[in-house]
Amino acid sequence: MTVITHNRRRSRLSTLVDQPGGVSVGVALTEARANLARYESRSREIIEQQVTALAALPVPTGVDEGALDQAYAHASAVIDAAGPFELNDLCAAAANLCDLIDAAPEDRPFDWRVVTVHAQALRLLLTLPPEAVDARAKVLDSLKDMLKAKVPGSGEPEA
Amino acid sequence: MRGMNGVGESLRESAVFNFDGAVTMVIDDSPFSLELTAQALLGFGMKVRHACESAAGAIAILQNHPVDLILVDCEMPGMSGYEFVRWLRRSGLDPNAYSPVIMTAAHVRRSKVSDARDCGANFLITKPFSAGVLLERIVWVSRDNRPFLEVGDYFGPDRRFRNEPWPGPERRAEERRRTAFEKERRAAVEL
Repeated sequence: MTVITHNRRRSRLSTLVDQPGGVSVGVALTEARANLARYESRSREIIEQQVTALAALPVPTGVDEGALDQAYAHASAVIDAAGPFELNDLCAAAANLCDLIDAAPEDRPFDWRVVTVHAQALRLLLTLPPEAVDARAKVLDSLKDMLKAKVPGSGEPEA
Repeated sequence: MRGMNGVGESLRESAVFNFDGAVTMVIDDSPFSLELTAQALLGFGMKVRHACESAAGAIAILQNHPVDLILVDCEMPGMSGYEFVRWLRRSGLDPNAYSPVIMTAAHVRRSKVSDARDCGANFLITKPFSAGVLLERIVWVSRDNRPFLEVGDYFGPDRRFRNEPWPGPERRAEERRRTAFEKERRAAVEL
């Protein structure tokens, strides 16, 4: 196969990064975290809205890609909102649901109990206090077990 | 799917960088997600010049405005982030077609893994990611000096991150020509 190599010019960004002035990594991160912290309560509101919407999705009859896409979108929105605030267990639970939906069989209906259980788990994770580490771990473990059972090979580490 | 992690080194707290004046574009269909990205960038000294809620809106801007860095969400209604980056690289817009592109994703569907690899982005970050990871990746792409390659329908940065010697026979015509040329040159010098 023909390969054409374009020797790259320096991007303007590469010129800017080393120009005099600027800020240190430590200062930039402190500033960024402070900026983001102002959005943390809004983030929780959005997560709660998405979990409520996920739980309220009607159980589809038969193969329904639209319903699965909606559930996937709600789970993705949870990750979007929770991501910058180190709400890692919420992200892990939502990602687990995304993995399950992504592996949904095309020729038979998706087991909708999976969505219901994940919505309940997300709600529980939202209400558990931060110090309930064991309880949080148990919730996540049960979801991971579900993924392993439904999607063989999913629990194996990526190469 | 994991992002293309593991290629950057952690940044030292005292390391200094300067992105003042960088023209940055963020494309995300979720206004809240877009705002979060913009706030993190603001902390790094990068004011988002173009905030777009769709790829179509971004394309209209890119026709006439040079952009130094693009952050784009993978999953968007209408034109997806993958389709957008593929369009950008093939757009012929100079310098935008070569602009550093970081893709972000809450989750990458299995069916989209090849799109993520082959659309021509410099980097994909999967969520959740901290402000530190985002900064690390931005600094990394700013120093990304991989050449752009055109291979089949791929146009974008060389997808090979490692540059380790291949133990087998060299089959690339360009490399074979270069080796032959070097051999001839050395022979001529020795004469």
